Amino acid sequence: MHELSTHPVWHAPPHRGDRRTCQKALSAAAPPRAMVLLGMGRQNALRLLGMGLWISTALLAAPRAEPTPAPEAGAPIECRLDVRDAPNDKGTALEICWRAPADSADITVYAIERRDPETGDWQPVGTVSPAVAARDPQGGFRHQDRRAIEPNRTYAYRLAVVRSGARGAPPETLHTAAATGVARAQWFNHDRLPAAIAVLLFSASLLLFIRWARGGRDLFIRRIAGLEAVDEAVGRATEMGRPVLYSPGLDPMEEVATVASVNILGQVARKCGEYETRLIMPNRDAIVMTVAQEVVREAYTEIGRPDLYDPNDIYYTTQSQFGYAAAVCGTMMRERPATNFFIGHFYAESLILAETGNATGAIQIAGTDSDSQLPFFITACDYTLIGEELYAGSVYLSREPLLLGALKGQDAAKAVILALLLGGTILMLAGVDIRPLLG
Amino acid sequence: MKKTGPVILGFLVGILMLVQYFTPNAWIEARYNNVLDWKQVVFGMTLILGVVSLFLYHWRKISRRQSGWGYSVVTIGGLLFMIFAALIWSPEAGPYRWMFDYVQAPMQATMFALLAFYVASASYRAFRARGFHAALLLTAGVIVMLGRVPLGELIGVRIGETHISLATISSWILDYPNLAAKRGVMIGVGLGMTATAIKIIVGIERTYLGRGA
Amino acid sequence: MDASMAGTILAAIFTLAIFSLLYRDNPFYRFAEHLLVGVSAGYYVVHYFSSAVLRKFAYPVFVSQDWWLLPGGLLGLLMLFRLSRHTQWVSRYAIAFYVAAWSGYLIPSVIQERVLVQIQGTIPQLIGATPGAVIGALILLVGVTTILVYFYFSAEHRGALNSLSRIGITFLMIGFGASFGYTVMGRVSLLIGRFQFLFQEVPEVLGL
Repeated sequence: MHELSTHPVWHAPPHRGDRRTCQKALSAAAPPRAMVLLGMGRQNALRLLGMGLWISTALLAAPRAEPTPAPEAGAPIECRLDVRDAPNDKGTALEICWRAPADSADITVYAIERRDPETGDWQPVGTVSPAVAARDPQGGFRHQDRRAIEPNRTYAYRLAVVRSGARGAPPETLHTAAATGVARAQWFNHDRLPAAIAVLLFSASLLLFIRWARGGRDLFIRRIAGLEAVDEAVGRATEMGRPVLYSPGLDPMEEVATVASVNILGQVARKCGEYETRLIMPNRDAIVMTVAQEVVREAYTEIGRPDLYDPNDIYYTTQSQFGYAAAVCGTMMRERPATNFFIGHFYAESLILAETGNATGAIQIAGTDSDSQLPFFITACDYTLIGEELYAGSVYLSREPLLLGALKGQDAAKAVILALLLGGTILMLAGVDIRPLLG
Repeated sequence: MKKTGPVILGFLVGILMLVQYFTPNAWIEARYNNVLDWKQVVFGMTLILGVVSLFLYHWRKISRRQSGWGYSVVTIGGLLFMIFAALIWSPEAGPYRWMFDYVQAPMQATMFALLAFYVASASYRAFRARGFHAALLLTAGVIVMLGRVPLGELIGVRIGETHISLATISSWILDYPNLAAKRGVMIGVGLGMTATAIKIIVGIERTYLGRGA
Repeated sequence: MDASMAGTILAAIFTLAIFSLLYRDNPFYRFAEHLLVGVSAGYYVVHYFSSAVLRKFAYPVFVSQDWWLLPGGLLGLLMLFRLSRHTQWVSRYAIAFYVAAWSGYLIPSVIQERVLVQIQGTIPQLIGATPGAVIGALILLVGVTTILVYFYFSAEHRGALNSLSRIGITFLMIGFGASFGYTVMGRVSLLIGRFQFLFQEVPEVLGL
């Protein structure tokens, strides 16, 4: 490390690591990009999309133009240093920012050091080459220090501007600068404000529609072909005197696709109970197995046939993906179910299951939210619930008002997304880019 | 206690996990990591339930001498062998590792490889399917399949000076209509997933707890 | 014959036994299937018990006295109440924790990654783009919007809604076809891998 002389050209005031202080002090230098967006976006959004709340609030998160010291006007080798709190973190990082000197052609490296608060010794933080250093939009450099920084503690830094000597000559320190900064913990990650607003709006609309549905209104839901076929499929198994096989997919109980699958299972079990048809369900996950046992037993109890329940028909196989596939294929080959349901989240084994089911001549109803497996189910199954239809499926079959209300909330969100897509395109043509507002 | 307690617990934990996404606070981050660890432990413990279920399922078959009970002996034998091999020797080496390398892994890989045959039979089925949408699926599939092999570079049409090969068309289909399909499905699924997750947290969706809950 | 040679021969036999499913269900496949289920169930219970229960609960709590990891073990024990039908309700606490924790995590991350980022990527930048890029971006926009119309459940798909949702289905089918075609070669390479094992590795190990 080169010998550094302490020759501060520009001292940062204490606590300048505070983000607001930095932005306030530097706002005169920063170009008003965010302000331009704020004005245009708010007006246009209100007029064209009616999304004033979302967009204007999201804009508050938008001013992310890096605050930068004012352009250098002094001697060529002078360099301003600023130590700021790294935003949106728990107070364990500082950002060391500086502008390149006016004549920076000869500079080979910037060397950064930090003073140890305990011992007072200067320790190297890193050396940054001008060619690879992170830049801010105004041409300044940035380096983040994340090494053992504690919140609310003042750290002193110094920066050396170094030029390597020609032909073996020792490197030359052109200039040094020093500054201090304090890392602060934030309570809110401003980068995620758009997601926070979207979550709040979506949750509010869902709960609103659910409340609306509680009022006893008759809520319409369109026909979903795959679910219309459930009756026919179970009836076919009854006529043939063969069982129905239900696979809930490979994901554990925590995944919402499995929750949706278990809901549909309840309705399928009711149908099986009504028709006195045996329902077989091999499981890959132990929690899914125990939940499925309870759901099926209760479905049979609800229709007054608890005697039909056999816990041996809902069993655990193995956690192994292809071990499970082997077991289900074996069951299909031996038990010859007349109807197979593959409802849940599947991976590569989807086609193995569906093609084996096809070979046994079963009628097959699949439903998955896995876009990579949908093509295989569509090719090999008689009916396929595509993506969101899986989630709508349980609502469709149960017709429970509360769940219907939630589905209406989803549809309202889709309408907003369509408006954003079309409105956003029109705004883009008018020169206003709303994409940064989405996170 | 039986019904409301689990829903309240779920609500509190769900809110914690939701909030942690938006805050960099160190205490919440530590609790978030705790919850992830607790989840792993719950999952690990439930495998005991799975193994007990598997054992009893096959044990019943053996004790009742049901058809194919001999195969159940194989399953129970394999299960117990692996557990005792890990306890007596080590999970890192010895018979436990040997069984994984030479029995389990090759069989898993072969099940996976069966897909090559099943893709062929599914393609044949798609060929036989009639209707506009089935034809679209098949055409796009064939173009992309051929576009990914060297032959796809050679087959094509010449428009003026430009040679448009199957590989080019294949890339275009993957970049635009395929991406549109993936995105459309993804957004719809995203809304469905979020709605279900919200219903779970607020306790509207509780089938997974049992209908009595 | 050493353990590795015996293992390779056994692996080859089991590979053939699994392949025999293509013909029909038979005793060889049935034996292999039952062994795979038993061995893999044993493998994973040991694996997860060691990586989760021991490393995330038993050692930290009883050796390092990290009491923050105690609730995980307690919740895990509650799951075992499922073994008896009368005490089964106790396990609801563990299941509620397990499911709701992940749901809470999913809500913002799904909204961000599967919704906002996708909307962001679909709004086209038309000004200054090449004609090819404009056409592509518009196709993407039309595809995504019409697919969303297809997923609209609150109204019967008639008239304009029906026309739009049919365009959406068209995009879905082209997309699914492309995904199908894209996967084929990958699946074939898996098969080639198994054939290499049977026809190259096995003869080498046997010295043929």
